[in-house]
Amino acid sequence: MATDTKTKTTALVDAEQLLRVPSAAPLVPFPVDVQVPDAARQTPAVGQRATRPDCRLHGLGQTKYIDDMYLPGMLFAKIKRAGVASARIISVDTSEAEMTPGVMAVVTGKDIPCNSFGPSLKDQPVLADERVFYAGDGVAAVAAVTEQIAADAIEKIKVEYEELTPVLDPLESLKLETPGVHAPSANIYGHKIIKKGDIEKGFAASDHIFEASFRTQMVEHVPLEPHSSLAQWDANGRLTVHSTLGRITLGRADIARTLGIPMSRIRVVATVVGGNFGGKNEITTEPVIALLSKKTGRPVKCTFTRPEEFYASTTRHPLIMDYKTGVTKDGKILARKIRLVLDGGAYCSWSETTLGKACILSAGPYQIDNLVAEAFVVYTNKTMTGAMRGFGAPQVCFAYESHMDDMAKALNIDPLEFRLKNVLSEGSLSPTSQTLHSVVVRESLLQAAQRFGWKPKTAPEAEGAFA
Amino acid sequence: MKRRGRGIACMWYPIGFTVAANPSAAVVKINEDGTATLLTGTVETGQGSLTILAQIVAQELGIATEDVHVVSADTDATPMDTGAIASRTTYVTGNAARLAAEKARLMMFDVAAPMLNVKPDQLEARDHRIYVKGYPQRNLHVGDVANHARMVMGQPPIGSGYFNPATVALDPETGQGKPFATYVYATQIAEVDVDDETGDVDVLRIVASHDCGTAINPMLVEGQVEGGISMGVGFALQEEILFDAKGRQMNPNLTNYIMPTSLDMPEIEVDIVDNYDPTGPFGAKGVGEPTCVSTAAAILNAIHDAVGVRIHSLPATAEKVHAAIKAKQAAEQKQLSAS
Repeated sequence: MATDTKTKTTALVDAEQLLRVPSAAPLVPFPVDVQVPDAARQTPAVGQRATRPDCRLHGLGQTKYIDDMYLPGMLFAKIKRAGVASARIISVDTSEAEMTPGVMAVVTGKDIPCNSFGPSLKDQPVLADERVFYAGDGVAAVAAVTEQIAADAIEKIKVEYEELTPVLDPLESLKLETPGVHAPSANIYGHKIIKKGDIEKGFAASDHIFEASFRTQMVEHVPLEPHSSLAQWDANGRLTVHSTLGRITLGRADIARTLGIPMSRIRVVATVVGGNFGGKNEITTEPVIALLSKKTGRPVKCTFTRPEEFYASTTRHPLIMDYKTGVTKDGKILARKIRLVLDGGAYCSWSETTLGKACILSAGPYQIDNLVAEAFVVYTNKTMTGAMRGFGAPQVCFAYESHMDDMAKALNIDPLEFRLKNVLSEGSLSPTSQTLHSVVVRESLLQAAQRFGWKPKTAPEAEGAFA
Repeated sequence: MKRRGRGIACMWYPIGFTVAANPSAAVVKINEDGTATLLTGTVETGQGSLTILAQIVAQELGIATEDVHVVSADTDATPMDTGAIASRTTYVTGNAARLAAEKARLMMFDVAAPMLNVKPDQLEARDHRIYVKGYPQRNLHVGDVANHARMVMGQPPIGSGYFNPATVALDPETGQGKPFATYVYATQIAEVDVDDETGDVDVLRIVASHDCGTAINPMLVEGQVEGGISMGVGFALQEEILFDAKGRQMNPNLTNYIMPTSLDMPEIEVDIVDNYDPTGPFGAKGVGEPTCVSTAAAILNAIHDAVGVRIHSLPATAEKVHAAIKAKQAAEQKQLSAS
């Protein structure tokens, strides 16, 4: 009987102690052994379906992203966004935010040593100081002991604007009489032309001429991990930035330039990035949190909210695409004329690359001897457009391939057959007259068609498609 | 009523930057046991590029993928790299990593040659061993050679290399030149159902035949293609950032910005086109960006095939497709009553 009571008491004590222990996941000893033959252990290595060493960490939730990193004394930063698309900044009053308990530092555009950056044109401020060029522009930043205090504090920053009429339509922006988004700079900030052969002769020799126009929309990269960075200085004046950058070399150069410090004093680490798709190829908040960290002597972290990911990072260029193509009655393309207008948004970012690639690729994977492709990129007071998976190629592919199908239908030729009549082959000259090698567009068409079970629907002349 | 359609779209896409230099450098260190470490400034952004680089280094050294540890993306520790952009990692960083591994391998051969009593150019590395070509009975384990190099010869094997694609500047008047070192090619064919009463488009199946030169890791190529297609589906049918009259975004959140989920994904058949590019590492080119290029075009052509309407602006939302079907029916009605 006595023993029973004792056992009961012990059990109760244990239960009480257990309640005081924080809950924890069951223990799993490492490494987690997987008893399957792994291609990563095979030789030769090339061609193996080797598993990625990071996949197990991702699968177990063990990957440490920047938002998972907490350093002693770390502060959280938030950026005040303009919310107006075009304006002159009259004044920025940060006094109330600075007096908020828990707020450790505030910076504005005027605090940035060199307030401009960009991969080709340095037209983007780190934080807007005199002018706002789009609604997502940052105008001030706060570092506080919690994320919530920082978020509350930016609401207390009062910015007085003189609102200006925004330019929103790229075709409007293209017109000479439209006020300059970045006056005195012109709205057309990039132009590209490719001329090959004699387009007039090509059209003259064509039996049919087809014209069509296409447009695409602005889209976001939507990486699973939003932009995030963490900056810390040491007492020697050396700065370490953990960042979600896809290009650490350029990132370090931009941080050095905007802060006015030598590159040797900056370390940028981007060990794991949770999705890029082109959206993380340039700095965003890194110089801002570096300054906040310098001011406070504390590590400072800033992670974009999902809405910020949409309105404060780059997006895909909307394109307006006009196509004119001359073909013979048996389906050989003789000439093509293309005009592209890219909506560049508020800043250049990677527009120059997008403009060039879109222009070069706009003819499609086709042998066209007479070609003119001309492309313009213009400023608008909208979210900046930049690098995004394909750099203009998905847009022009939508246009040239829709155009191809419309022509095939009008000519009563099977769409596959029409493409096979015109595709590039080994040794073909590209629109820029480069001799192409390892060209397999024909093979890809035939393989896809065979796998899909593509059978010509139209006239008997399409029978030769698989010959 | 649901109407079925099919659409085809092919594309070409370059590897690397347009004309501009976009170099990568790499360092390969061989450890005392014959395993290796690659230092690269590129960033793993979820695409599996570090695994590809490990496979390239492993192939060059004749060891397995798992034997190569990759240290990446730290400006204090890793050599210069232009980064994870322009579908360039496999081709440009891959070439740099291969060249670095080749140098380390030649240092290994210099050590192994006297051990095997032959000249260095008579050797080859495969299956974790260094063999005498044409007389494979004579061979050494890479670990023994690496250890001998370090402990006896005092020559720790380490190699560095860099690569930059060969380009020719474009003429500003005509745009003529060689902007890229190489290109990849692909075709996607989509099968869709379009509801002609609602305009709703259901993508059922996409067959994707992609060229990437040598597929260093076919599983990662498939992963890229599947991911690219999901982006292409969103671009074709759903995703759009909307602005109000004052230039502010109206839908900056995942509630009102609609992107595809796993439920919207079609059945995907990935087909890798056999190819070899002599300028790439072991014949490889790249595959990242090209996978999302032709998806929207194929889907839009399939919509046209299904219901006979050409949508000239993306995304082809149900509202837009429905309006186009109605307009087409009205035009046909008018034509009928006129005749």
